[in-house]
Amino acid sequence: MRQAQVAVPIGRARFTELSLLVWVALLAVLGFIAVVAAETSTFAVAAILVPSVFILLVLSLHVFLIARRFRGDQLLMPIAAGLTAIGLVLVQRLASDLLLQQLSWTIIAGGAFAATILIPRDLTALARFKWTWAFLGVLLLVAPLFPVIGREINGARIWIKVGPGSIEPWEAVKLLMVVFFAAYLEEYREVLSHSQRRLGPFPVPPIPYLVPIVAMWGIAMLVMVFEKDIGATVLFFGIFLAMLFLATGEAFYALLGLALLLVGGFVAYQLFGHVQARVDTWLRPFDDELRFGTGYQLVQGLYALANGGLFGAGLGNGMPDRIPVVWSDFVFDAFAEETGLAGAIALLAFYLLFLYRGMLIALRAPTPFLQLLAAGLSFIIALQTLVIVGGNARLIPLTGITLPFVAYGGSSLVTNWMLVALLLRVSEVSNRMRGGP
Amino acid sequence: MEITFAVLLWGVRIAFMVVLYLFLIRAFGALQRSLASETQLAARPLGIAFLVVQKSVRGAPRVGDRLPLRAVNAIGRDAGNDVVVNDEAASARHALVEFADGEWWVEDAGSTNGTLVNGATVRSRERLQYGDELGIGRVALRLEQ
Repeated sequence: MRQAQVAVPIGRARFTELSLLVWVALLAVLGFIAVVAAETSTFAVAAILVPSVFILLVLSLHVFLIARRFRGDQLLMPIAAGLTAIGLVLVQRLASDLLLQQLSWTIIAGGAFAATILIPRDLTALARFKWTWAFLGVLLLVAPLFPVIGREINGARIWIKVGPGSIEPWEAVKLLMVVFFAAYLEEYREVLSHSQRRLGPFPVPPIPYLVPIVAMWGIAMLVMVFEKDIGATVLFFGIFLAMLFLATGEAFYALLGLALLLVGGFVAYQLFGHVQARVDTWLRPFDDELRFGTGYQLVQGLYALANGGLFGAGLGNGMPDRIPVVWSDFVFDAFAEETGLAGAIALLAFYLLFLYRGMLIALRAPTPFLQLLAAGLSFIIALQTLVIVGGNARLIPLTGITLPFVAYGGSSLVTNWMLVALLLRVSEVSNRMRGGP
Repeated sequence: MEITFAVLLWGVRIAFMVVLYLFLIRAFGALQRSLASETQLAARPLGIAFLVVQKSVRGAPRVGDRLPLRAVNAIGRDAGNDVVVNDEAASARHALVEFADGEWWVEDAGSTNGTLVNGATVRSRERLQYGDELGIGRVALRLEQ
């Protein structure tokens, strides 16, 4: 695409982004000082070492965008950085031995962000390789099932071995699937939404076009059965349904999909122990046989939430370590205990901002592919937050989804930062076309 | 009051919460401002140029109608487009016509039946001259000043 570059000597200033990043920097420093001081009972300069590295990383990303004369959105990066800062503070608080590992992952995530800004030269070209993405995604999805490379941790078989560690391929699958869905739906939305045959108020598209819905349902169920990962199942299918609805505007598909998910869930509940255990724990965690068994984690989390009250126990002052595996599964409860309802609402407001901004980017995007891509990417973050926070608060059954940007975990942090970069790229395309900021 | 370690620590904790909310207030403010400028952009006067209907079908704009253009125009069957072409052969979001670098450009937005310029299918992004005829579905539109 031909575009006249207006000659700006140094780069293109991003004042909004910079001013927001200053607050993020302050947030990181204060959080670390509070947590470290509470633990060691003294103020030490060493406390600001990790936040300083983080601030340097974020500022260098900012400078990188300026140097590239990048014209994309200025809000999303600071929001993601703020959440990552809260995440680092919480890792220091809940599992300080994992802090250096998480900091390294944060740096890798920053690199992945920069690479995603640089590498796909033309975003729309991603649509042309849609079947490649689909194939790769399915391959990664089933990879943990193979005996040598797959690995089962905490009852879920969703990991593959890489060198000494293991990564969660599902995280990368999220992005691949959204790109594929966006490209597929852009091509076939006409057929799917303007079918001439109707059954009452519902469209009846030609059978071949129904295949993807059924195939998606099958794959989602497969994940539930063999990898024992209910969270991924809900996310995977949820993203697909949301994008299908966005592309076609037919509530029928969403309802059909939900019905399929409910039927699948019910059958799985009847047949599989791990699904049954999740649901039982959710419905009656305080029962005698569950209270100190599978329900222990959830019950401790609920006590932590209750203990938080309106303004919390104060950072570093609560007892979140009484929740097992709190740093990866229950960070929301831990944060709510120490900062109270006030902190919990602020945290959710971060995600609200992210979703709102992402949807605006989708609305402004010039082509259906880019619109669906931006909407799907924002929706991943929203749905993930909903599923894990709902699980932590016992509104829905608990699943092993990570709280985006905040929970401990490398694969998730890296892919979420790539997701932010993709959203920025979409907003850049619209800004260039519309002559906006 | 004596400033003890505990008081200082609570000071830091409260400062953390305050900064958390200040960030959110700033971010919502920035969102608000960008929405406002967006609205301004959309409210720019119409009529830098016109698409004059040459050929049409029932329900679509009538032959001879002068459809005003903005700087950036989405053309398609959906009511949300800047130029609505209500023809079954047109896609919901069919094409984009925009004024950039002092010239008019047309780009197909992934339409089912394609976009034509003077009878030739638009491949990627093509320049439009005044007098060129744009084909969207069964409707023909001529770019005029």
